[in-house]
This record gives sequence, structure tokens and C-alpha cells, in this order.
Amino acid sequence: MYKYVLRRLLLAVPVLVLSSLIVFGLMRVMPGDALTALMAESGNIGDKELKKLRKDLGLDRPYHEQYLLWVWQMVSFNPGDSIFTNEPIPVALRKAIPVTLELATLAIILGLVIAIPVGVLSATRQDSTSDYVGRVVAVSGLSLPDFWLGTLVITFAAIWFQWIPPIGYASLWESPWRNLQQFLLPAAVLGFRLSAATMRMTRSTVLEVLREDYVRTAWAKGLAGRLVVYKHALKNALIPVVTIVGGQLGTLLAGTVVVETIFALPGMGRLTVEAILFRDYPVVQTNVMLVAATLVTLNLVVDLTYAWLDPRIRYR
Amino acid sequence: MAATDPRPASRRTPLTRRDFVKRTAVGGAAALAVGASRGRALAAASPHPDWIAASAKPPKRGGVLTRASAWDPPVIDPRLTQSVGLFQFVGLTSNRLVRYPFSDEASGPSDLSLKGDLAESWTASPDQRVWTFKLRQGVKWQNVAPLNGREFVAADVKYCFEQYAKEGVQAFTFQEIEGIETPDKHTARIHLKTPNSLFAQNVAEPVAVLFSKEVLEEDGDLKKRLIGTGPYIMKEHTRKVRVVLQRNPDYWDKGRPYVDEYVILSTPDAATRLAAFRTGQSDILWVASPSEADVIRKTNPNSLVQAYHNTLAPFGVALAQDRPPFNDVRVRRAISMAIDRQKMVDTVFEGHGILGWGVPYIYYQDTPPTAKDLGPWWQYKPAEAKKLLAEAGHPNGFETTLFYYEYFPQMTSQVQLVQQDLKKNLNITVKITKLDYTSYYGRYVEGKWDGMSWGFQSGHAIGLDERTYMYMHSKSTKNFFRVNDPVIDELTTKLRRTPDRAEQRAVAKKIVDREYDQVLRMWMPYDNGFMMFQPHMRNVASGALRRTDGYGSPTIARAWMEK
Repeated sequence: MYKYVLRRLLLAVPVLVLSSLIVFGLMRVMPGDALTALMAESGNIGDKELKKLRKDLGLDRPYHEQYLLWVWQMVSFNPGDSIFTNEPIPVALRKAIPVTLELATLAIILGLVIAIPVGVLSATRQDSTSDYVGRVVAVSGLSLPDFWLGTLVITFAAIWFQWIPPIGYASLWESPWRNLQQFLLPAAVLGFRLSAATMRMTRSTVLEVLREDYVRTAWAKGLAGRLVVYKHALKNALIPVVTIVGGQLGTLLAGTVVVETIFALPGMGRLTVEAILFRDYPVVQTNVMLVAATLVTLNLVVDLTYAWLDPRIRYR
Repeated sequence: MAATDPRPASRRTPLTRRDFVKRTAVGGAAALAVGASRGRALAAASPHPDWIAASAKPPKRGGVLTRASAWDPPVIDPRLTQSVGLFQFVGLTSNRLVRYPFSDEASGPSDLSLKGDLAESWTASPDQRVWTFKLRQGVKWQNVAPLNGREFVAADVKYCFEQYAKEGVQAFTFQEIEGIETPDKHTARIHLKTPNSLFAQNVAEPVAVLFSKEVLEEDGDLKKRLIGTGPYIMKEHTRKVRVVLQRNPDYWDKGRPYVDEYVILSTPDAATRLAAFRTGQSDILWVASPSEADVIRKTNPNSLVQAYHNTLAPFGVALAQDRPPFNDVRVRRAISMAIDRQKMVDTVFEGHGILGWGVPYIYYQDTPPTAKDLGPWWQYKPAEAKKLLAEAGHPNGFETTLFYYEYFPQMTSQVQLVQQDLKKNLNITVKITKLDYTSYYGRYVEGKWDGMSWGFQSGHAIGLDERTYMYMHSKSTKNFFRVNDPVIDELTTKLRRTPDRAEQRAVAKKIVDREYDQVLRMWMPYDNGFMMFQPHMRNVASGALRRTDGYGSPTIARAWMEK
């Protein structure tokens, strides 16, 4: 097991190096830089002054030097400051990460709370009304883009209930009730999408497992229906579901970009999008690397979960 | 079965695919027809007033004013940005030497008379090169360390303007200053390198706010603290969350401001801002179209609405007029005549928009220009346009490019309408490229592009000098439309040497006439929009050149809430 984990961690290194090269390259290929965005707006900055500022920020150095300098900053856990706002990147991240983490966690919880029971219900009552309703809801979740659903939710909440989540982020520790109001709707929007695929997968795998011999044996022994479904069938049906959930975490993080914008939450998504728009190289690069590292870790965790779900699985 | 079926008749017959397609087509056509006639109807008259008079009641103190805002300040150093994100509130924390009137003292939206802000009076020498500002006495910096309520004096003006000239985006304006004398504590005498009768207007701009020496010297920049002499003290600035401004109890204009706290909530999504207004979380909202205003009035019937009328269009088709084929005036005129601007106003802006002109009309005439006022080359005459293009040597049209950034969703429709008109009327094939903000800005401002761009003039300054000399003189760094016309150079320079208001109007008119005749900047229609306020808001009307939000936010200093 330890060897397996170590091997996976070592394999993560080339993935991260490749990610760093891609994000570094893409940012340099995009036209304009942070100074263009910040200073050129007035048309008052002369070429001379722009050149001086670029030099001060190291933007005039050869690309390989810029890359190596950045890699060094990353491995020494000092990603530097934002070019656009001058705020140290760790400070910006300390503010943004908890927001996205809370949003993503709530979305996953809400998504699973909806998806697994509905998936099981759909499977155990195949082709009944509840099955059809569940499938229609799942297809809707897959078809409706987050930006559309989010806009719809906030607009109709305002019209029908004269209420929307309070704008102006408050942390969980500062004001738990306000924080909950702010996160419930966005998490539901994200969770709905997540629940759709998970529900479909739960339904099909539970259906498959329910037809297995050992489940038939359980029925034949006279075990209660709930016990057969939840203890014998569901646990064995969960491996593909976990795989699907793990695979959707990337989509979930991408979804936070839109949802954070609609619900005015100052998370990683907004931080990254703004940084891309203003060519804030260090911020974009750091954020992308952070997301890449998170996804690599989460995939490893997902793989390790298989052994817990199915003790027959061994890692070598 | 049909006789006993309780369902409505419309639901009894199964809908075939053919029926569905037919009904959709008929419905769509009907909706389009209704939409078009609605646009024309709205064009005829807006049910909302264009000015909200100041309240006759005595102002009431207190309350928290909240506004969901699209903008977030990138930095809070006024030397380093002209972002609306910053200038939506800097006019409240800080003052300028002179200012434009507040809505409770303006005679109407077009009142541009200058009022004293930190200066009580100001005069120019006969040659318009020396400007003397007599400062208001007893003004104190906000009672926040390191200023701690120190007196504001003429040396502060000297220091601040010298710093502006030294570096940053405001430098162009302040570099015209040759030197500043401070003969006494309350007098600043500014010597200009060249005559400029419009200098007072330039220092009335929101971007000319006065900042303190102490903060800049202690911190090395103004990125962390913003301390001014203004009616509000910046209590909090959390990026992408909120800006909180608290009433300055020691403000020199005694009794003001009226509102205790002004909170600006960073809300990038338009639908969320609208929902925030609907639910009372935001007191002020800007919407672009009449239909949006009507929809909101359905849920918020008591909200106050001001129909805004733009005095200028910030966007137009910029041509690479320093090279072929656009260096030929006939080509520019032909293109201008081939574009149906009225159709754009009717369809894209639902009739509530302007045809497009670049210099605010209030500087040279009393009423908005009609299509006729804009001259022959701005009329939609496709046949004449084709003839003119043929005379210029392009009977079969040509191919060109156009790049743009979508500042607002309607812009894409505008760009496509121009593309269609030019293809249909002149056989000019326009290849459109949509860019992100930074790519667009960098490329546009650099000014080395070919073909066309959807050009802009920035909205940070509203003075006549800014809109003429700074944007059109061939030597100006803000001449983004690449105007290089000796007549314009001469006239814009002359305008700077003309102190008399009536003469200024005459020269300004000559400038715009020349601009229209030579099609130096091909302005495009622009929306008018509506300012919406919660019913308890008072003294918040937008002026002709400044809305209550954005750069016009100093208005809030005189606003109050009746609740």
C-alpha cells in the first residue's frame, strides 16, 4: 500500500511539471500583460515608463528565466505577489480557498444526499413513476448549465420570495447564519449538477448488483428488503459511483467559477478568472498549480477508497 | 370522449411535429413584429422623467446606503488607475479643487457650472497660463493616522499635483503644469506650459482628487490607505466583497453628508444586481433597456426611475485612417453612409438610444443632435455610398478586419449589424475577431492595427478639453482613433486659448463639424439607460455627464434617505 502511494506520488511529479509548463506557456502566448490591463487604460503611459515597469516586474526577462524563477518560488512556497493588486498571493489564497472549499464541500454533500437515495429508489422501483421522475431530474441536471440555473434561481427567488442570499461574504466563524444563507443556493446549484451523473450511475450499478447471485441468496435467506439493498447491494455498487464522483470534482471546481460570480462569493474561481483577464501571471500560475495538485491528490484518495469499499482490492 | 373530456380544448388534440414547427414559426414572427413595434413605440416617448428634482423637505440624517456594484477597485492608489472600480468612491473619500454641481444645486441634468470644492474661488491670467486657486479655510484631513485631522493647505496641492505629474496614469493632465507657487497657506498659483482656458475643468474631474503627502511618504504608495478630506472615511475595503465608507464627522461642509454609511457590494453578475435591487439589498441600479426598467417596475412599482440621456457615445468604428484604404475620406464617408444607425437604435437599444456623436453636445448646442445635424455623411444612403466607394476605386468592395471586446452584450449585435450593412451595401467583407479585454486594450491602445476596430473613448473625464484636445489632437497620447487632421489640431489648440464660454461653444461646434465632415471618428449608437432608485432615496439624480454610480458617485455626498 505504502509503495503504491509512493509510486502514485512520484507519478504526480511529471503531471505537475507538465501542468506548470502548459499554464506558463499559455499565459505567455496570450496577448497583452498585466501592465497593459492596468496602466494602458488611460493611454497616458509612455513606452519608456512601461518598459521600466516591465523590467521592475521581471517581465522583460527571457521566458526560461521567468519559468525557472517561478518554479523556484513555488517549491520554496513563496509564490510572490499579484502584479495587478500587489497583494501577496498566499494572502489572497487564504481568503479565497475557504470560500471555494466550503462551497465545494456543501455541493458534494448536497449532491450525494440527493443522488444516492434517488438512484437507489430509481433502481429498486425500476420503470415506476418515481423512477421516471428521478431520471428526468437527472437528465435535467446534466443538461442545464450552471450559469443558466444559477441565474434562474436567483431571479425567481427575488420575484417569488422577495429574497436572495445576502450579498457581501461573511465567513462561517463571523456569522454562521448569514454564511449558511449565502452558500445554500449556490451549493444547491452546483450539487444539482453533481447529483445528476451520480444518480444515473448509482441507479445503473445498483440495478446490476441487484441481479447478482449473492443478492438473490440474501433475498432467499429472507433478509429484510432494506438490509439487502443498503448493506449487500449498495456498498458493492459504490465503486463506480466513487469513480464518477472523483472524476466530477474537476467539473465541480470549474463550476465554482460561474457560481461564485453569480452569487458574488470571493472564492478561487473569481480570483482565477480575474487574474486571467488581467494577465496576472503569478496568480493564475499558482492557482492552476494548486488546482492540479488538489485533483491529483483527490484522485489518489478516490483510488484508495476502493480498498475500503471492496476489501478484495489490493494495492501493490 | 371529447364531449366529456374536462381538459381545455387546447390540450385535447395531440400536437404533431408539423403543428409544433408551424406554431413556433407563427409565434416567433408575431413576437418579432410586437418587439419591433414596441421598439418604435418606446422610441417615441419614455414614460420616465429625465430629471428628479431635489426634495423640498429638510434632509434627514442617518441610514446605510447600499449599492450592488459591477466594479471592484484593482488598487486604491488614484495615481495608478482610472478604473471605475476605484473612482466609484474616491470622490467621496477625497475632494478636488473644483467640482461639478450636486443634484440638489443643479438646475437640470445639463448644468455644468463649476463649483468650489476645496477651492473657494479661482481665476486665470489673461493669457490663460496662470491659474490661482484660493483655498477654503478650516478644511482638515480626515482624523485618521498619520494625518490626524491636520489642516489642508496649499502645499498639499503642490505636492499632490507634482506627484501626479511624476508617474502614473494621470501624468498627461498634470504634466502640462510648469510649476506651482504657494504664496500663502491658502493660495496655490499654478503655471501652465501652454495656455489652457479649460484647466479648471480638468482639475474638476474625479481623477484629480487630492491625496496626502504623509501616507505616500510613509507607505511609498497609496495602495493600502486612502485618506482624504472628503465626506466619507474608508472603513473597509475587502477585495471582491465590499467597500465600506463611514460618515466623516469632521467634514468641512458642516452637517453633511447625511447618510451614515455607504456600502458598495462587489456583485459582478448583472442578474444578481437586479435581484439585489428587487429585494431591497441594493438602493441604486442601472439598467440599459426600457424593457428591463419595465420588468423591474412590475415587482417594485414604487421605485424611482430616471431616464438617462447620454450626451455622447463612447464607442464607434475606428478606422486605420493613416493607411489605405481608410486614408481616403471618400471611403470613410461611404462606409458611414452604408450603416443604418437608426435601425441599430430601434432594434438593439429598443428605441432608447442615441445615434452617436463623440463630443458632448451640451458644449456646443442645447438639444441633442438630430440625424440631420450630423451632416450628409451620417445619413443612411446605401446607393450614394456605393457610388462614392466606386469613385474611390473600390467598385467591388474589399476585405477588411474588425476586432472588438464585448463591453456589453448589445455590442456584439451592433458589430454584426455593421458587418451585414457593409456587405449588403458596399460588398465590403469584414472579418470580425472578438477579443478578451486585455488583448483588445493592448492592441487598440498600441495603435498599430490595420483595418477596423470597435473603438472607444474612456469615460473617466468629462471636460471639454478632454473630449477635444486630449482625444483628437494628433500629438495626444489619447488619440486612439488616430486622428491626424491639421484643422482639428488648430481648432483644439485654439479652444484651449478661448476663455469666453460663447466663443468656446462656437469653436467646439467647428471641431465637431470638421469631425463629421471628414468622418474622423465614426460614432455608433449607444444606449441611454435608466437609473433606478429605491423609493426612499432623495437627491440622487444623475447629471448629463455623470450617473449617480460610477464616476458620478460624489452625488452620494448630498443624498439622503427618507425612511
